Order: sequence, then C-alpha cells, then structure tokens
Amino acid sequence: MSIKDGRRSSERRERRLGVSYAAPMGVWFTVFFIAPLVIIILYSFLKRGLYGGVEWEFSLTAYGQMFNPNFGKVLLRTIWISVVATAFCILLAIPTGYAMARSKHQTLLLFLIIIPFWTNSLIRIYAWISILSTEGFFNEILKSLGIIDEGLHLIYNHGSVILVLIYMYLPFAILPLFTTIDKFDFSLLDAARDLGATKFGAIRLVMLPNIRSGLLTAIVFTFIPIFGAYTVPLLVGGKDSTMIGNIIVDQVSKTRNWPLASAFSMILTLVSTVGVIWMMMSSRKEQAQKKNVTNQQKTEQNILDHHTTGGEA
Amino acid sequence: MNGRNPENGRKQVMFHDHRTFSFSNIVMVLVVVFLFLPLFVVVLYSFNSSKGMTWDHASLVWYEKLIFDSPSLWMAFKNSLIIALTSSATATVLGTLAAIGIKWYRFPGKSYITTVSYLPMVLPEVIIGISMLIFFSAVKIQLGMFTIFVAHTTFNLPFVFLLVSARLDEFDYSTIEAARDLGANERQTLLRVIIPSIMPGVLSGFLMSITMSLEDFVITFFVSGPGSGTLPLYVYSMIRYGVSPVINALSFVMILGTMLIAWVFRRFLKTIAANS
Amino acid sequence: MRKTEQVSWRRAMHLVVAIVVMSMVLVGVSSCKKQGANGTSSDNKLYLYNWTYYTPDEIIERFEKEYDVDVVVDNFSSNEEMFAKLMAGGGKGYDIIFPSADYTSIMINLGLVEELDHDKLPNLKYISPLVRSKATYDPDMRYSVPYNMGASGVAVNKTKAPEGYARDWSIFEDSRFAKRMSMLDDMREVMGAALKHLGYSVNTVNPEELAQAKALINDKWKPNLVKFDAEGFGKAFSRGEFWVVHGYAENVFEEFPEDKWDEIDFFLPPEGGALSIDNMVVVKGSQHSDMAHEFINFIHRPEIYAIFLDTFRYPAITNTEAGKYTKNKPFYSAEDVNDNFEVLQDLKDDLQLYNDIWQDIRYVN
Repeated sequence: MSIKDGRRSSERRERRLGVSYAAPMGVWFTVFFIAPLVIIILYSFLKRGLYGGVEWEFSLTAYGQMFNPNFGKVLLRTIWISVVATAFCILLAIPTGYAMARSKHQTLLLFLIIIPFWTNSLIRIYAWISILSTEGFFNEILKSLGIIDEGLHLIYNHGSVILVLIYMYLPFAILPLFTTIDKFDFSLLDAARDLGATKFGAIRLVMLPNIRSGLLTAIVFTFIPIFGAYTVPLLVGGKDSTMIGNIIVDQVSKTRNWPLASAFSMILTLVSTVGVIWMMMSSRKEQAQKKNVTNQQKTEQNILDHHTTGGEA
Repeated sequence: MNGRNPENGRKQVMFHDHRTFSFSNIVMVLVVVFLFLPLFVVVLYSFNSSKGMTWDHASLVWYEKLIFDSPSLWMAFKNSLIIALTSSATATVLGTLAAIGIKWYRFPGKSYITTVSYLPMVLPEVIIGISMLIFFSAVKIQLGMFTIFVAHTTFNLPFVFLLVSARLDEFDYSTIEAARDLGANERQTLLRVIIPSIMPGVLSGFLMSITMSLEDFVITFFVSGPGSGTLPLYVYSMIRYGVSPVINALSFVMILGTMLIAWVFRRFLKTIAANS
Repeated sequence: MRKTEQVSWRRAMHLVVAIVVMSMVLVGVSSCKKQGANGTSSDNKLYLYNWTYYTPDEIIERFEKEYDVDVVVDNFSSNEEMFAKLMAGGGKGYDIIFPSADYTSIMINLGLVEELDHDKLPNLKYISPLVRSKATYDPDMRYSVPYNMGASGVAVNKTKAPEGYARDWSIFEDSRFAKRMSMLDDMREVMGAALKHLGYSVNTVNPEELAQAKALINDKWKPNLVKFDAEGFGKAFSRGEFWVVHGYAENVFEEFPEDKWDEIDFFLPPEGGALSIDNMVVVKGSQHSDMAHEFINFIHRPEIYAIFLDTFRYPAITNTEAGKYTKNKPFYSAEDVNDNFEVLQDLKDDLQLYNDIWQDIRYVN
C-alpha cells in the first residue's frame, strides 16, 4: 500500500496517532470485556459462597466438580448436536451462497436472508414451537392432506433442537460464504470444465479451495454460538436436551455455584479464542498470498498513473 | 471487498450455463422458504381471533390489544430504543476511530486490539452475559440501564469495527496525503476527507448495531436491573405466561419495522453481509 | 456525480452526529432519573420485583391513582434468578421484593431486608393465623408480610385423558400418558413431590430417603415425561401437546379459553408437596420505604386483596377477610391445602445433596 512506499511520516507521530484513534476502543474492550473474563478465570479458582458469589479462598473444587460423568455426557451431547447442526448449516449455505453470488438480484436475496436474521430470536423460536407442535401448523397440514391421522411428535427432542439451531444460525453461514463466493472468478470454473471436469468436480476442485477463508469463517461463526446455545434447548428441547449453555446458566441462576459456572465459561472461552485465532491466521495467510498478486497489479497501475499525471503537470 | 470488481462484469458474459433450475438455485429457494416459514406462521396467527392454535376467523383484536392495552410493553420498547440508540452511537464512534487507527498506523498493542475485537462476536452470548454480571457485581455497579448500555456497546463494537475496516480497505490513502499537502490538519482530514468517504461503512455499522441491540435477549437478561426491562425481556415473559397472540401481533409490527430499515439501507446490505 | 455523492455523505454525517448527540442527551436524562431514584426519596416512584405474572395490573393502577405514584414492576421467574441479581447489584434499587419462604429467611439472615413498622401496617390484622404458623422463619412478621400461600398441583386435560387416572402424584407413573406429561423444572418442587409421595418431609436431608426419591423420579416418572418445563407448560397444555402438567393453577388456566375450563381437572395431590409462601419484604436501604409500607398495607386491604384472588383464582387462605369480596370461584379450595403440605426451608450446605441428585435427574438420560 501507498502508505509505506509513499511519504514516510515519522514513526513516533504514527504511533501517537494510531494510539489516540484506537485507544478508546482498546480501553473499552479491556475494561468491559477482558476484565470480566479475567474475573471469571479468577472466580473459577475460588470457593463458592453459600448463597451465590464467592468466598476469597483458593479452591479447585469447581474443576473437581466439572469432571463429573454427568457433565461429560452433556458435553458429548453438546458436541454432537453442534457438529450435526453446523454441518447442515454449511451444506445448505454453500449452494445458497453460490446461487446468490450468481444471481442478478443480489440485493433482493440479501434482503430476504437478512430479514429473518434480524427478527427477534425469541419470536422465531416461539414460531417454531407453533409449527412443530403435535397440533401445530405442520401436523395440521399433514392431517388435512390425509397423510397422517394423528399428530407426530416433532418437538421437545434432539431433532427439534437441531432443526431450530440450524434455522437460527444458517444466516451466519450463508453471509460469509456468499461474500467470498461473490469475489470468486467464475471463469475458472469454465476453464476447469473445458479441461473435462464435471460441474460438481469443478466446484469441488476449483471453487472450494478458493473460498477457504469464507468457509472457515462460516464454520467458526456457526459452530461456536451453537456450542454455547441456551434458549433453543431450553424452549424446544425435551427432558434430555440439556446443553453446556444451560448448565452454565443453571449454575448461576439455580444452583448458585458461581465458581463452577466460571470454570465452564472459561473452557468455552478458550475454545472460542482458539477458533478466532485459527480463523484470523488462515485469512491472513490468504491475504498474504493475494497481496503478492495485487502488488504486481498495483505497480503496473502506478506506472500508468505516473505517466498520465506526469503529462498533466 | 464490496462493490463490483471488473471481473464481475466479465463473468456474466462468459458464464452461460447458469440455469434457473440448477441445484443451487433450488436449494436457495428452499432455504429462503425455510427462513420465512416461521415469520409467515406468526403473521398468520396474529390475525386469528381465537387464543389457541385452531383458526377461528380473521380479526384485528390482538393489534387493538397491542396498541391500546399493553402499557408495560411500550415502556419496555422505550427502554430498548434508548439502549439501542445510545449503545450504537457510542459503538459507532469508538469503532470507527479504532478502525482508522488500526488500518493506517503501526503502534504497540495493535494485534491485541484486533484479536480482542473478534471475540465478542464469536463468544457464546451466555458467557458474555454471565461474565458481565459477575464483573458488575464484583465492582459494585448497580444493574440497570447503564449496565445494559455497556453490554450492548461491547457486543456492537466489533460489527462497527469490521464494517468500517472493510470500507477502509477500498480507501485510497493518497487522498489523505493530498489533503495534507493542501494544508489540512489531522482533525480536518478526519472530518472532511476520511469520514465522508467511509460513511457507508459507518452507517452500516450503526444500522447493524441498532438491530443487534434491539434483538438481544440473553446478554440483557443477565445485566438488567430495576426498571430497565427491554422489549426482548418482555417478549420472553410473554412467551412463558400471558396472552400469547399479542406476541404475534407485536412480531408482525417488528418484522415490518425490520423490513423498512433493511429496505431503506438496502445499498449497504452487501457490506453488512460481508462482515456479519 | 462524485461531488453530489460527497455532499450526501456529508449530510448523512450530520445526521449521525445529530443522532449521537441526541442519544447522549437521552442517556443523560435517563441516568439523571436513575440518580433521583437512588439519591432522593422525593421522586414519586416505587420499584417492585415480583414473580412473572403475579402482580395484577388493576391493583397497580389503583395504587398509582390513590397515592399519585409511579410503580415500576420487574419480573423474575425463580428465586435464584432474583437472588443472583440481588447479590450482583448489591440489593439496591428495588423497594419491595417478593421472595418465597426459603429465600425470605435467607434474606433476613443476611440482613438484606428492613425491619417493618407495624404502625404503618394496620391491615396485617387480616393475615390468617394458619399462614403465620407456617411461616416459622418470621412468625411475627417483623421483616416479611405473606403475599400468598399456595402450592403447585397437577392439571389433566379431561378430553384427552383416558378414564380412571390416579388423582395423586402417582399419575406420573401412568404410562398411558407417556410423552404427554411435564413436571416443573424446579428441583425443590419435583423432589418435594417425590418425597411426599414416599411419605417423607420435603426438607429431609436423610440420604436414604433422598436416594429413594431419586429412584422414584428417574425410574418411574421420568420415562413418561417429555420435558421438565417451567417456561411454556401452560401454552403446551392449552395446545393439546401436554395432557398432564405439574405446575401452578393460574399458569395453566390463563392459557386456556375460558369457556373450556371445565375440560381441565386441576388437583393438589393429597400426599402433599412443597408449600410456598411468597412474602413481601422491604429491601434494606430502600429509598421509598414509606411508600413501600403503604403498598404492603394497600395489598392487604380486603377489597384490594380480593382483586388479587379473583385475578388468579386463588382460595382466600392468606387474607381470609378478602374471601368475602371475591367474585370468582377459585381453581382449588382452601381445604385442598392439607397438613401434608410443608413449607420449603433453607437447607444451607445440605442443599448440595439435592443439587447432586437433581444433576443426575436432569442432565443424564
């Protein structure tokens, strides 16, 4: 970029300006986001207060309680629900993002994807309850079509949890995939097909490697929130659909075991942080590869510019 | 990033085998139907005169109740609006400045800020909520409008930051140099040159923040205090108990509101899509 | 072209600046208001923190009119949720909180509530001796005034249910209702039901008794349940999704069309269960202590308390005098609350016994 090769402002000035621009947000995050997380880490090593809160006494009880086979089962359940839901989200999002990128009505389609995404999540969950109920929308339609006589049990089980999770987080997968596919040069697909690849083969071999960063963003942005889901299993889950998010909330708002809630939160935070760093590293790598290309174009452009402006002066 | 690059124009000409009934188009249509199904059901039931799930006859009774007979709902809406505007405005100012600083300057702590700014977007809401609850209780800040405002600003900031950064990617630094050459100082450059040209990013960030803030339930649930209940909290208590079809009526009004906002700002949808 | 775009962006920028300024003013105004609430008692406000769907709008409106005060009601859905907020916020901000018996005693012991001035509460004379005798944690009402005493029960949808079901807790063993039943997602309530069914106390800390209760729930009841639900069981019941629910009468009936109420069979199991006394306490440091006393006294004015009873169709147990003013027939009668119903006590450290069992019930298949 032209900052570096252009006029070189003094490094000190740059540092001062950069800090004064970025400091407010940095301070905000440090105080209101990092500090709470640090407190959580601290609390996880303290003794629980009888009525909530903590007592200032070092204790590893919370971690001892965490390795309880019950929580292990919930953890496994949370993992498989999250994996299945994320996989479906991605599998639906790739063709959708592709079709959107190829469409002439991109704005309209984005509008259609974003509207449900921006509608209150509780209202959407509530709507799913009315759709999936034994005497709800879906069963009534099946009944009036004569396909079934009695309503099916569609709600309050793992299936309904997964379905509604897919519903809630699908836009998180579609939007980044659409963005990267939109930037993809589709003529490469033509080239691959000219070389004898099938359509799906071309997409798999040529397009997928090129949209890796979008794919990764989509996975991180669906998997992690699903992993911490709380309202969906609470409202549409059955007696055995408890997920990690529910346990964390139960520890604060039912069992009053703040250290245990903190210990669980810490684990989830670590997983999320690893996800974010992985995502950032891979997108940085991709950008670095692209930069090599664009720098070359830039140089050509600069030479052209130089000639024209030079002519004017 | 956004805005069409030259290849896009070419691709339409070169790639002809894009049929209407291709696999991907069918999936896309099904996905849109899937996404809209619940909204459709809610709107349908909002016009149902009966309380239950069985269709009686069309009526506006729930709308009447919503408008004339739900004072605490409007109170909650007012709280939501105040929180959304203030937290989005704060997040927009802080996020925009930080994006400019991080894009163009090198300084210590830069990578710390970039990494940290991603986290609130990804971290499960439950954890943000609980950690803030514990934090406010540890530093003895009274829960209420202020704590909700802080929480919302925190989860709004990353959206503004990313949207503005994306816009800055397209910005030509030489414009700034030109302004400086013409004798503009730092503040003038910021206000007259930089901000006007990154306005789409700033506005998208602001818009995104407003919608995120109006929508949030989980985090607000943990950090709300006396008299600070927001609309989603109210909706939650309605889902648990009370007259249900008013929720449907309310939902339709909210869906219309969202559509209106999204349509007014339709030019920015693509920028928003790229960063959410 | 480019120029006009620039101009319109500048206009948009002015808009944003205007919005920022406006919202800052809004925040300023609202935080000023808040300062008033915390700093002085001159503002006409009263902050209540009560259970969701437990404060009749009519009572609030009448109180506001009579005392020219603005009442703000916030809701919680479990004692623990209320208590977590209270601990987190330092307990300030609210004037009256409505905790259940066990939490009332916790709050009294922790010194979180103000001692009441009985001179300002002449209507306490209407509170029944029965309720006061059950309120062992504060029998003289020095810190807390009973708001309502009641119990959770079982509602059966008669149009769906087969003939001859048991009208006690053993209905949850009835596999004809399998996948059609829910119990409250509340540890003490469900454990209390099982303990009572086995003939033990709801406050037992005997590991053997607790183990039996756990086995009963896990082996006999849970296989027939769809869900432990404290969120939407009333709605699910009214939709015909659940046929048998464990819960509070008003939550069930409220969701049902009134002309179909005789389709519901609601009963309190005769073996007894957890008896809940919800109290009103004035939070220590309340800025509106006088008004809070007025409110507590107002609630127990018999014709006002009758509005509360009529709204939720409770029997007149707590304030017997109010029974003379009620218009509606209650969902269950005062006699149904027999001696087998026991008030939940704060178990202190022994609560962990319950927590461990509840984990085994709730989190594992």
